[in-house]
Amino acid sequence: MLAEGALAAGCRFFAGYPITPASEVYEVMMRELPARGGLALSAPDEISSLCYCVGASLRGLKAMTATSGPGWALMIETAQYALMTETPVVVALVQRLGPSTGGATQGAQGDVWLAEFSTSGGYTLPVFSPSNAAESFELAVHAFNWSERLRTPILLLSDKEVGMTSEVVDEEALPIPALVNRKMASAQAAYVPYAAQEPENVPAFAAVGGEIKATVTGSAHDFQGRLRKNSPQVINVLQRLQRKIEAHAEEMARVRPDLDPDARTMLISYGVTARAARQAVAKLRSEGVRVSFLQIQSLFPIPRKWLDWAVAGVETVFVAEENLTGQYRAALTPHLSGKRIYGINRIGSLISPSDIARAVQGVTA
Amino acid sequence: MTPEALYLSPAAKLPYCRGCGHSLVVRQLSSALEHLGLPPRSIVLITDIGCVGLADSLFPYLHTVHTTHGRSTAFATGMALADAILEPQGLKPIVMIGDGGAMIGLLHLVHAAQMNVDITVLVHNNFMFGMTGGQHSALSPLNWVTATTPDGNWTPPLDLLSLLRTAHASFLARRLATSQELASTIADAINFPGFSMVEIVELCTAYGTRWNKVNGASLQEMVLRQGYALGEVETEMERPTFRELYRHEMETVRPKRAQPAVPRINAPAELNDEIRLVVAGTAGERVQSAAALLCRVALAAGLYSTQKNDNLSTQGSGFSLSELCLSPKPVEYTGIESPAVVLVVSEEGWKELEANGTVAACREETILLLDAQIEAIPPRGRVVRLPLRREANPQRAALAAIAAWLEKNPLLPAEAWQAVLALEPAERRAESAAALEVGRRLATGSPDF
Repeated sequence: MLAEGALAAGCRFFAGYPITPASEVYEVMMRELPARGGLALSAPDEISSLCYCVGASLRGLKAMTATSGPGWALMIETAQYALMTETPVVVALVQRLGPSTGGATQGAQGDVWLAEFSTSGGYTLPVFSPSNAAESFELAVHAFNWSERLRTPILLLSDKEVGMTSEVVDEEALPIPALVNRKMASAQAAYVPYAAQEPENVPAFAAVGGEIKATVTGSAHDFQGRLRKNSPQVINVLQRLQRKIEAHAEEMARVRPDLDPDARTMLISYGVTARAARQAVAKLRSEGVRVSFLQIQSLFPIPRKWLDWAVAGVETVFVAEENLTGQYRAALTPHLSGKRIYGINRIGSLISPSDIARAVQGVTA
Repeated sequence: MTPEALYLSPAAKLPYCRGCGHSLVVRQLSSALEHLGLPPRSIVLITDIGCVGLADSLFPYLHTVHTTHGRSTAFATGMALADAILEPQGLKPIVMIGDGGAMIGLLHLVHAAQMNVDITVLVHNNFMFGMTGGQHSALSPLNWVTATTPDGNWTPPLDLLSLLRTAHASFLARRLATSQELASTIADAINFPGFSMVEIVELCTAYGTRWNKVNGASLQEMVLRQGYALGEVETEMERPTFRELYRHEMETVRPKRAQPAVPRINAPAELNDEIRLVVAGTAGERVQSAAALLCRVALAAGLYSTQKNDNLSTQGSGFSLSELCLSPKPVEYTGIESPAVVLVVSEEGWKELEANGTVAACREETILLLDAQIEAIPPRGRVVRLPLRREANPQRAALAAIAAWLEKNPLLPAEAWQAVLALEPAERRAESAAALEVGRRLATGSPDF
């Protein structure tokens, strides 16, 4: 469904390399994309996969690749290049158990940090995380839309249990967000490739091969795209790359709240664990426990406003995620001051509804 | 504007050291473009990391892309493919890369050559890394003195042309930067409809000539001593380009595959609450396929379902299992805390369920339908043993087990099975029907479970 979402979003170029559990996306794109007027290609490694996609995007086309943790590790240099050159591209990162080769056929949510904190300079890479097939579809469209609008790489953080589990989806009920395309430079005005006149903080795009000369560089550059060392414009560009993301954080935020206004306890989760959490919340409520629930779909930028709103009046926060050290909990903690924060963590198998319910009851009882 | 002004800016102050071969190459490239008369906007110059990476700023009217180290060829490939296949405007990517970049990005050169993508790669081979202080590279000749081989290089250099000829490169040439024929060779390469690479042999005057007894006059002799050919070398020039191959594949070869459809019938399943079950057996024995068929039938009968598979990373050995949830409502959690039904058709499947905690999670009321050859005694549950492997054969045993369970617990209407099976390919349909028949027969002869 992630692949279907990419197709619905207007993806026209895909390059992939086999890796469990992302090979399904690769195979679907190889089968479906050419039939729908696009090009799907087998690359000789993950570095090539993302370079091909970035090249195609520079030519003006929406592009995506899909991989898992080991492949993403290889792609990080190219993802930073896309960030620096403001080239839209979507990477589906279908997590498996790490580190290293890890457990190819085991799910995990252990790549949150590897996904987000992967740039020199610590830039915010937007990360969307679906919990089921329908969300995979919808968030793929959002990922493409935001990637186009902000001209930046975006990650779709799935995992083996979401990506490889078959489930029934009501196609007619799938929300298809309106599609967004990158704003193209106009031949009428003088084009300055890295200066943003717009309040959006995103310069217009000139495609390689188009009428307007494209100037692209991954080196620190001024507004004209010239390699410079002591130019204030360079710092301006480097700051804008972060500001354009922060300025749209609120608009990019996607959460599924299920709040009990009288609850003093909040459960937060994302990805596959959000499914167990939703079931656990139903069970807890049926037993009289007052608990609120927040599923976060846009992990980064952290949806601060929704978070503040959801935890107002809450004393205790649980964050359930299938990793060892509570990666997303650590990212949320600075925004949860004054709350008691507990992690519900496990690796090697799904966190079950009972695991979550027991943890919540153990603390709140 | 004069034709030459379209390419290398006449006012351009070249940023290279005195005597550096890069200056010669930049001018010869400009001459080649001028000779070809290509519109500047049809060209994209993709520069790699290194001193050669400064060249893009010298061509103010071409599209320019300055990339990461070694990856210039891969970015160029993406642009070329997108243009050739999806938005044909005759874009001509020209890559400028050094010997260091050619090695770290060798895979990209190999793949572009193998696919015969229409790009031109100019490898500026000065036998070392110049920008970073004169370190040796994979193309350094034997005894070449560098910052990292102060006593001379002792690993044999790579011959890029030979390497890429093995990768079916269509156009390959090697020229000295000082060669009178360099511009025409570059023009031929750019004009060639497919992958072309020109290795340009030159000297780094900051380090190469400082530390080694070589100069412009003796360079050719050094190259020939290495046994390297100069000029255009023999290749498979008639190969079809990627664009031609791809078009052919799409139009004539690729079979049109239909998505497996799931029919909806008007006889809903009789299920008020969810059922979670496990089907386990041996990889390659159609365990997960049988489970998928059950899910399709459940869907036909109006149920929601999830199927979560597990197996070793090898596809055709070891255990294979599917954890299913059939439910009248959308399913959230896809795992199984305690299964209602466990169908096991091989010893390997059983051992995995013992190892992964499924056996321990069974309740007294869990139905455990085991193949008769499995000797283990489950600690609890309602155990039934049927000779599934013997009667149905191992490939059909999982589906037979599903049929046997449903025979005693009729949740899904026969119409749903018929409707789903009707859409299966004929051969598969016969196989499935046989498996279902065995399962039903075995169940009929056994006590209720």
